[in-house]
Amino acid sequence: MIPLNYYIACAVALYIIGMYCLASKRNMIKLVMGIEILVNAAHLSFIAFSAYRAVGYIDPLGHVVVIMSIGFAGCVTALALAIVTYAYKHYKTLDVRKLRRLKW
Amino acid sequence: MFTWPLDALLIFMVGTPAVGWLVHKNGYQKILGIYASASLLITAYFLYGLYKEAAEKGIILIVGQLPFSPPLGACLEIDMLSIFMAFLYIIIGLFATAYSIKFMESDSGLTEYYTLILGMIAGMIGIVFAGDFFTLFVFWELMCLTSYALVAFRKQKWEPIEAGFKYLVMSVAGSVTILLAMSFLYGMTGTLNFAALADGLTAATSEGWLYITLALVIVGFGVKAAIVPFHTWLPDAHSAAPSPISAMLSGVMVQTAVCALIRILLLVFNSAQPAWQMTLAVFAVFTMFGGNLMALLQNDLKRLLAFSTIAHLGYIIFGFATVSQDGLTAALFHTINHAIMKTLLFLCAGAFIRQTRTRDLRKLRGIGKTMPATVVFFSIGTIAIAAFPPLNGFWSEMMIISAGVRAEMIIFSTLTLANMALSVVYYFRLIRIIVLEEPTKVAKEAIRAPISMLIPLLILAFLCVFIGVYPGPFIGVSSKAAEAMLNIEAYIDSVLGGL
Repeated sequence: MIPLNYYIACAVALYIIGMYCLASKRNMIKLVMGIEILVNAAHLSFIAFSAYRAVGYIDPLGHVVVIMSIGFAGCVTALALAIVTYAYKHYKTLDVRKLRRLKW
Repeated sequence: MFTWPLDALLIFMVGTPAVGWLVHKNGYQKILGIYASASLLITAYFLYGLYKEAAEKGIILIVGQLPFSPPLGACLEIDMLSIFMAFLYIIIGLFATAYSIKFMESDSGLTEYYTLILGMIAGMIGIVFAGDFFTLFVFWELMCLTSYALVAFRKQKWEPIEAGFKYLVMSVAGSVTILLAMSFLYGMTGTLNFAALADGLTAATSEGWLYITLALVIVGFGVKAAIVPFHTWLPDAHSAAPSPISAMLSGVMVQTAVCALIRILLLVFNSAQPAWQMTLAVFAVFTMFGGNLMALLQNDLKRLLAFSTIAHLGYIIFGFATVSQDGLTAALFHTINHAIMKTLLFLCAGAFIRQTRTRDLRKLRGIGKTMPATVVFFSIGTIAIAAFPPLNGFWSEMMIISAGVRAEMIIFSTLTLANMALSVVYYFRLIRIIVLEEPTKVAKEAIRAPISMLIPLLILAFLCVFIGVYPGPFIGVSSKAAEAMLNIEAYIDSVLGGL
């Protein structure tokens, strides 16, 4: 069996990739994808911990949290994409750096 | 299922579209606002019943189905702190919905608007009722999702869309940080129940992971609580949202995050208290300075009020960071006062905006000549928030400073006092611009605000004066809530005692 540490390292790496994506990407759709990467980092961490609680036994609590959280992530993505379409109507671009009328 | 008040609120929320469908003809839209206000009143009545039960028993524990009792299953734990915060949400929500009846009458999509408001209040009540991280996260997401939609509600303008997107991205990053911290806590102890976590974490965990998780929790909640390096969404979201929503966001939503953060730190991270206490105090000072210094530079009325919210969050976090009975009482009392004052100010700002179509202070000069009633209420709110003695802001701010001195955090108390003095500058600038100067063209053309918008303002202004003159009972309830917050053993016992 692969040791737990690898999964946790992978989750932390995904988290860092997601944060980097939010900080550096210009395209608004890519920002939404960055959010998804972030959420999946936390999910992976949960699933790994629930599988390694005891040998031959999977803790349902971690799975319950992840299933609920997948639903929320779907809602957030839908809302974010709706906002992106409205932003596109106003600005005729998906470049988030053009949305600079407010001070970021 | 979730106790009566929360059930009632969720049912009313789901019922709003049906009412909206029945009254969808023009002219009957007001019924929706009346429906939302009435449902909040009914919820307040149910909450009063819960209050009597909690006063009798101390802590009410609501568990799910029996085989999944805590610490395995989800649960709600309701103590005086939860009841205290829930009452505050419902009262501020009531003012916001009652004010919206007139304020939002020319907007479309009112059905969605009231559904989202009720959902947001239900989410906030759920957060303070939650007894484990899972329940907290579910209601947290309910609050977050509804608030994103409400900030971007006027989608035909560019500003709410831009502010909404910025708010969404930053806030989701915060929520996910909380989720990652939750997963680490779960990995260390195998449970998500607050009481069981408090027990499990103090026993034996590696120091390194404990501090990493602590940092993730502070950052995650800090984004929503607008602690200064993570505050940049707040001024945009507060100024772009419709005014009743700004009042809700600034008056109660950010305080929910602070309250949840402190509850988790006190309960779960009790063993690392010296570490987070200093961190919070330092962040609090940064938050005050950031808010006050930026507020000095603003020319936009709602942006100025939003930065003043950040400064006041700094005071509240400092009160909590003392971790003493006095400090917590002061911080909770300031939470009530700040909610009332900031709601009053944002709703007055909404009245100015509705009559003049501008938020620019340079164009709002001298509006006191044409809208006298609103300006009187606005001045009362401003004087109260600038902490002048006969009004409510004075008592709580002085209590925070004296609690800081008694907790031997004299440097931080001095900095807080300096900040309060600094903030007087821009509050008086506001009064001077709005009351004393010669009216501009825009201000001359303004007409008086309608009476149904003035009534909530009148009640809020009265509350400012009333709490200032007669603070005793309000300090009393804050002190009970603070006691419940500090009584960690009773909280843990109520869950694990039966095992």
